[in-house]
Amino acid sequence: MKSVKRTDWGRRTPPIGGSNFELYAWFFMRISGLFLVLLAAGHMFIMHVFNDTLNLDYEFVAARWDTPYWRTFDWLLLTLSILHGTNGLRIVMHDNIANKSFRQLALYGLYFTSTAFFILGTYVLVAFVRVT
Amino acid sequence: MAYQNIVSTGSVYKGRTGMWLYLFHRITGVALFGYLLLHIISTALILAGPEIYEGAEAIYKNFYFRIGEVGLMAAVLAHAINGLRIITVDLWSKGSDYQKALNITALFIFVAIFVPTTVKMIDSYFELCLEKSSAGTTIVDCMVRPLPDWKTK
Repeated sequence: MKSVKRTDWGRRTPPIGGSNFELYAWFFMRISGLFLVLLAAGHMFIMHVFNDTLNLDYEFVAARWDTPYWRTFDWLLLTLSILHGTNGLRIVMHDNIANKSFRQLALYGLYFTSTAFFILGTYVLVAFVRVT
Repeated sequence: MAYQNIVSTGSVYKGRTGMWLYLFHRITGVALFGYLLLHIISTALILAGPEIYEGAEAIYKNFYFRIGEVGLMAAVLAHAINGLRIITVDLWSKGSDYQKALNITALFIFVAIFVPTTVKMIDSYFELCLEKSSAGTTIVDCMVRPLPDWKTK
């Protein structure tokens, strides 16, 4: 095996068969993060500052979801936060779970959970019909 | 900068502000993801109708959860503002030359938004609690009573 000196950093060849997935994942975190600053912080301010959660009731949510715009807002927030959070947790698991079997198990659990919650959230946003 | 000896400390982490911010970003990130899942479940209960949804929401309507909401706001704001700082360092060609200034700027922006937000959330809690509760209710009642009777008034 060829020894690699510190000064060789800039000239090392990329790993064989490497995909650009990690580059796109890195870039996605920045882009989705920018959108989430607006969506998540906006959601927090609407719910906790401009309104008060003490006044939150069925009618409040139903009135919001009467318009497709707030359903779209909430769906974008749901989708981006799940993708952003799943990728973040994927990286945390890769960094902190040394045992390969445990890591794979944790990652599959994460992907399963995220998919299930994405489907649940999307279903609620699409299927909700007010009853009062 | 002069030549620096690279000495292994047994860890890649050097323990300065950048490392603590990195750790802080991970902890708030994992916590927010956990909260997100709980939040999706409690919101999904709205499909079960007004009684069940509002019954679940009533659990959150007390002062302990108001403190929790302030903590949630802190986590969201801190993760968002630190994320903007990371994007600045990554994508601005001179970002890494101004890390200290960026850290301090991020902290100031956080405090400038978080403090008035907290004042509003706490103030609004007591105002609504006193307004909607029966006569004679005190601020202490609002703090210790687990389930205020919003729906009866």
